Amino acid sequence: MTNKKNIINVDSEYGVDSRYKTSKEREHDSVALMEARLERIKKLPREQVLRTKLLQLKLKMENYLKEPVYDKQNHFANFLETYVDTIYSKRSAFAKDINITPVFLSKVINSHREPKEEFMLKLMIHSEKVFKHVGEFHKGTWYQIYYHEKLCDTMSNQNQWRPKIEKQVKLTESVVK
Amino acid sequence: MYVVEVATQKKHLIEVLPVETTDYNSLSKARYFFNWKEERKQEVYKVVLKGQNDILGLISIERIPSEWRVHIRLLTVSRENMGNGKVFENVAGNLIAYVAKIAVIDFGVLACVSLRPKSSIAQHYIDKYNMNATGMTLSLEVPEIVNLINQYDHD
Repeated sequence: MTNKKNIINVDSEYGVDSRYKTSKEREHDSVALMEARLERIKKLPREQVLRTKLLQLKLKMENYLKEPVYDKQNHFANFLETYVDTIYSKRSAFAKDINITPVFLSKVINSHREPKEEFMLKLMIHSEKVFKHVGEFHKGTWYQIYYHEKLCDTMSNQNQWRPKIEKQVKLTESVVK
Repeated sequence: MYVVEVATQKKHLIEVLPVETTDYNSLSKARYFFNWKEERKQEVYKVVLKGQNDILGLISIERIPSEWRVHIRLLTVSRENMGNGKVFENVAGNLIAYVAKIAVIDFGVLACVSLRPKSSIAQHYIDKYNMNATGMTLSLEVPEIVNLINQYDHD
């Protein structure tokens, strides 16, 4: 007992056992905490809400890049859509800000067109300006998302493209004796 | 994310990873203060120096989607990382920041990280992490949760 007391005095961070002992205790805490939180949420200024939504987007993008994802979703387009809709009330305003047509933006968001190199560069610079007010954001993130998705799709769709492409590829030089 | 080596003030990159079944054999109460085997069925994370295996700290959590919150069940740093003679600084802070990131990813603006420390150490968490106190429960919400993530989430 004395030992434990000394530990707490030396450094409170040795640990916390925060597990609920009874369901009654848990329920009581949940209700009180929720009431207090709802009051605080009501008072949140718009800029804090915006900052948090952008941080959430950034963290989701970073998570997506951590490992291969094989699914049917259009991740780049979805992240772009969230980005634009979080900051702007009208998508056309974003299009104007980066000097592209609203039609082109709409086609990229709906995955009907590939983003051009210039679009990617503009998006990178726009994000730099935005995330300066949010937190650290790696310049290459949008590119990484785009190529990560391309790579994952290419690898997972081999049965679709490989039979045709493989017929066109030969190896005429001897590599191993 | 990184920890600071107290003796040299050198920064070391860290990774927060899920605890694997085999890890539990090395999680002694003598070094990690609690019986971590009791948490086997929970979501448990460890912090290690990047590319290394030695566990510097641990955290066990429960996601509560109906309340948009993540509750910290158990948190500890290893024995050599506590007190005046600690080897690395910021072990616990990185673990809390990692959980804060989970909460923001899952719940966005409504995100909340909660814990329920004994009253004797509650003030430490209020002071160090800017936590809100509601009865016995301490919590991190917007904007404090965002500030904490930005404070710790650097490479």
